[in-house]
Amino acid sequence: MLKMTDVSKIYRTDTVETHALREFSLTVDEGEFVSVTGPSGSGKTTFLNIAGLLEEMTSGTYELDGRDISKLNDRERSRVRNEKIGFIFQSFNLIPELNIFDNVDVPLRYRGLNAAERKRRIEESLDMVGLASRLKHQPAQLSGGQQQRVAIARALAGEPRFLLADEPTGNLDTHMADSVLDLLSEINSNGVTIIMVTHELTLADRAKRNIFVRDGQVTDAAPEFLRAANG
Amino acid sequence: MEFGPIWRALLRNKGGAILIALQIAVTMAIMVNSIAIMQERATNMQRPSGMDEANTLTFASISFAADADLRATYINDLEMLRNTPGVINAVGTNSFPLRGGGWSMGLQTEPGEDMGGVGAAIYFGDEHMIETFDVELIDGENFSPEQVVFLDPDNFRWEPYVIVTEALAKTLFPDEEGSVVGKTAYINQNDPVQIIGVIDQLQAPWQGWDDVEHALFSPVKRAEGFARYVVRTEPGMRDELLPQLEEMLASADKTRLIRGAQTFDEVREGAYLGDSAMIKILGFVITLLTIITGLGIVGLASFNVSRRTRQIGIRRALGATKPAIMRYFMLENFMISSVGVIVGGALAIGLNIFMVETFALTPMAWWVVPVAMIILWLVGQAAVAGPARRATRIAPSIATRSG
Repeated sequence: MLKMTDVSKIYRTDTVETHALREFSLTVDEGEFVSVTGPSGSGKTTFLNIAGLLEEMTSGTYELDGRDISKLNDRERSRVRNEKIGFIFQSFNLIPELNIFDNVDVPLRYRGLNAAERKRRIEESLDMVGLASRLKHQPAQLSGGQQQRVAIARALAGEPRFLLADEPTGNLDTHMADSVLDLLSEINSNGVTIIMVTHELTLADRAKRNIFVRDGQVTDAAPEFLRAANG
Repeated sequence: MEFGPIWRALLRNKGGAILIALQIAVTMAIMVNSIAIMQERATNMQRPSGMDEANTLTFASISFAADADLRATYINDLEMLRNTPGVINAVGTNSFPLRGGGWSMGLQTEPGEDMGGVGAAIYFGDEHMIETFDVELIDGENFSPEQVVFLDPDNFRWEPYVIVTEALAKTLFPDEEGSVVGKTAYINQNDPVQIIGVIDQLQAPWQGWDDVEHALFSPVKRAEGFARYVVRTEPGMRDELLPQLEEMLASADKTRLIRGAQTFDEVREGAYLGDSAMIKILGFVITLLTIITGLGIVGLASFNVSRRTRQIGIRRALGATKPAIMRYFMLENFMISSVGVIVGGALAIGLNIFMVETFALTPMAWWVVPVAMIILWLVGQAAVAGPARRATRIAPSIATRSG
């Protein structure tokens, strides 16, 4: 499903060179629920950006669904993001000017689906997250948990092969966080591959496999300081 | 196309969009009516005077000697002019088209007061008028030399023969389907004049006059202290002959001055100086307003791109290609511009109706509003293209940054 081999990412300025990922290798099979954990600055978000085709890697190989991603141009990368990947962001990233229906509709329009098909998918996905009655609401009229559910519905509406979740409960209280994680588990049980980036080990434990990142590389086990920080 | 979501998003954040739409509407209203005025002026400027303008020149002779024999000077001047190689013909007259000054009288078909006269410009001259002015005699005949008399300032009377323009003939005798030659009209209410000829077209001296196509020739030679000559030359000879003729007349009689030497191109330019200036000023105003509107659109679009940096990143993350981002801003501008040009179109038509009723302006041509709409749509699209292109350079990874 996802295979990264010796992926590096270097951010360069005139005077500074920052190695965000160093020979990062990871394989995720179809249907897995994988958490990626690490301290701040470890390279989690860089990994997520490269896995989600939001950034280009400096070197290495990345195959998604059997396809070499490094050869794709911007238009093709956009298409892969749109058709194969669903994103769930920490700050929900709903578009404040659009109502719930239009927010879920955004990626579907970019796919070029007809109006009837889009409407069906939007209603189904919002129904799945329990917000079918809030179609005309604005994001600001919903709680944080509800907004994250809308974001999940938006990700699911495109019927992606895998979900990338970036600290999906970072802005939620414990109760809402549990609810969102329950939803992710349910989605995973339906066959969708999930990669969840988080710095909280307790949340990472909800995944079926945990990956630990430190200094831009995959490590075998959670470092002690991370366990200590998480209690 | 994302018409629906963009429209709903605009309604939720409409302050800037309304201001730009209003700016476009006002620009449209001013642009349309300015174009209508410019078009009217340009049309007027293109009307033919009826003369052979490319080969015609004019100057005035001003005698200052108390005992000057003005009739002898007049006869001698015209003889010299007509005998100059390259000159087709010359005439002494009181005025000519586009001069801006001259005589006009009322003509009527029945004598007496309150008979509803028709205004007509009076051109005095002899039997050489037709050839000098290069007008075509389409009916009747020219003056005979015997019909032409010298004007007696102390005992003025209207000579009994006139040659009229076809437009004047049709206005005087609207029901006459045949020839008007031989018919009698009355000038100065009661003085009968017989129409002996009809010429195709000749303008009055006042280009802004409603009856500008109404003119007549009266067979009168004016040998006064101030004499005006019109000379028609062979093609291509005009500019060369102008200084020669001026010098020739000045040398022939040292007791007078030759002044106001002009080609007819200069006469036309002077006559339409105001219209020409008006067209330039309105053109400048339209250009300035359009630029200001374009800058306003650039400003709003740039602000929107900055304000929506994160949103653009989110859209890119969700699968928007760069062209899709570009299209979003272009479409948004198109919708704002559409509101502006529709409101502006209504404003423009209302303003035009007001101007037509108040200032007797010619109603604008049907195509002015759609042309202005297209111009403003294009200006809007051109103005938003830069900021929209900047928006496409926003990276999708913005979506994963906190904040």
